[in-house]
Amino acid sequence: MVRILDPTLRVETTTAVSPRAPRPRALTGATLGLLANGKSNGMALLDRIALHLQTHHGVAEIVRAAKTNASAPVEDEDAEFLAKRCAAVVTAVGD
Amino acid sequence: MSAVTTRPGLDVDDPWSAIEACYARGWTDGLPVVPPTEALVDAMVAAGSWPPDHVLLHEPVRDRVVTAEKAAINSVMAGCRPEYFPVVGAALQAIGDPSFMLHGPATSTGGSALMVIVNGPIADRLAFNSKANLFGPGTRANATIGRVLRLVLLNCLDCRPGVLDKSTQGWPGKYSLCFAEDEAQSPWEPLHVSRGLPRGSSAVTVYAAESGHNVLSHGTSDPERLLTCFADAMSALGSLSPGRSAIVFAPEHAMHLKRAGWSRRQTAEWLYAHTWRSLADLKRGGKVEPAFYENPSLVDWLYGDHPGGAPVPLPTSAEIGRIAHDDESVRVHRGLGPDDILLAVGGGEAGGHSAFFPSWSRGRSVPFVTKEVS
Repeated sequence: MVRILDPTLRVETTTAVSPRAPRPRALTGATLGLLANGKSNGMALLDRIALHLQTHHGVAEIVRAAKTNASAPVEDEDAEFLAKRCAAVVTAVGD
Repeated sequence: MSAVTTRPGLDVDDPWSAIEACYARGWTDGLPVVPPTEALVDAMVAAGSWPPDHVLLHEPVRDRVVTAEKAAINSVMAGCRPEYFPVVGAALQAIGDPSFMLHGPATSTGGSALMVIVNGPIADRLAFNSKANLFGPGTRANATIGRVLRLVLLNCLDCRPGVLDKSTQGWPGKYSLCFAEDEAQSPWEPLHVSRGLPRGSSAVTVYAAESGHNVLSHGTSDPERLLTCFADAMSALGSLSPGRSAIVFAPEHAMHLKRAGWSRRQTAEWLYAHTWRSLADLKRGGKVEPAFYENPSLVDWLYGDHPGGAPVPLPTSAEIGRIAHDDESVRVHRGLGPDDILLAVGGGEAGGHSAFFPSWSRGRSVPFVTKEVS
């Protein structure tokens, strides 16, 4: 019997473990954030989703942020802005 | 006797069941792996200069950390000898450089391979192939060190085909694309020296590469005629972009440039100047997208050579494909300048077969990154 070692990160922790934010119970009157991934049609897709959520779920205000590069992480200031302002954020790739 | 270790893994009876166990857990690239026993992994870690928990790669988009130990496990599995590990570590540090923005080339539909070019004394010491069939099979250092990067992407970053790796097609270079520059046959200083590292050092240069294009020319020794073949391949509409280019000159082609006294800079400048298509051609090929006009740097790319600059106002979405009167005379170059063209040398002594590798992405691509091997 010989042990072979796990090459994956399944049992590892990442550098920072953040708790998940609680899910909003409803979107009525809520401010919704849209975070486009940085691909060319990301915001167009998100705007359609936002329109649906406004029409059918009572979303009030929409705020938008976009990554400048799909390969890069979201900027800290954008993440903080969305976290402060929004009850929920939708993010998407639209290419 | 059962193992006494507490390190995560599994106990197996023999090498054959170990290989099958790795398949069963999805730990391979499709080819068999060397079972990463503790003794082999420890020897791999010991051959580097990093403690096991040292972070060799941090991928910020998904906040994934690859330690020296995880890199060593994947290096054993890829078939590396321990003395390869310093090169593996440097390559992981290179693709983890923030400027490389690994998340894109690792996951994108573009399906790029991670090219690793090795320079310096370590290339001979580890018996890298820089000569005949340098991109192909047959050499352990080339095959296994390139393979580690893919195994790390699969096993540590979860870039599994169809899940996080959304390559539309991918290409065989994704198994491994690692080779040494043939510095002795090059007319120029070694690639890593041209990129700022001292002579006598060893280094890796990484690049997110789409599949290569064989550039075939046996009929001329004239530099401009020869380079015309390269500029033609590089300006193909199928791959024309504002991104980078990597060219590996076969020694025969390099010799023609050497005899004519062409410097690396002169060669890159000539290639940049002659690698272009008209804006009208781009429009005919549907290469101009509405989103390009929302990005000032891409507007500059399209109209940088236009005496009048970009049109005012910019075309609307409905007008994108419409060919304007002077679009035939607007030259749209591959890349943004000569620095976007990396020139290296490698291949067999015989044959006028060089290679052009377009960069990943229809946009700007990610840069070349060079790291010293410590």
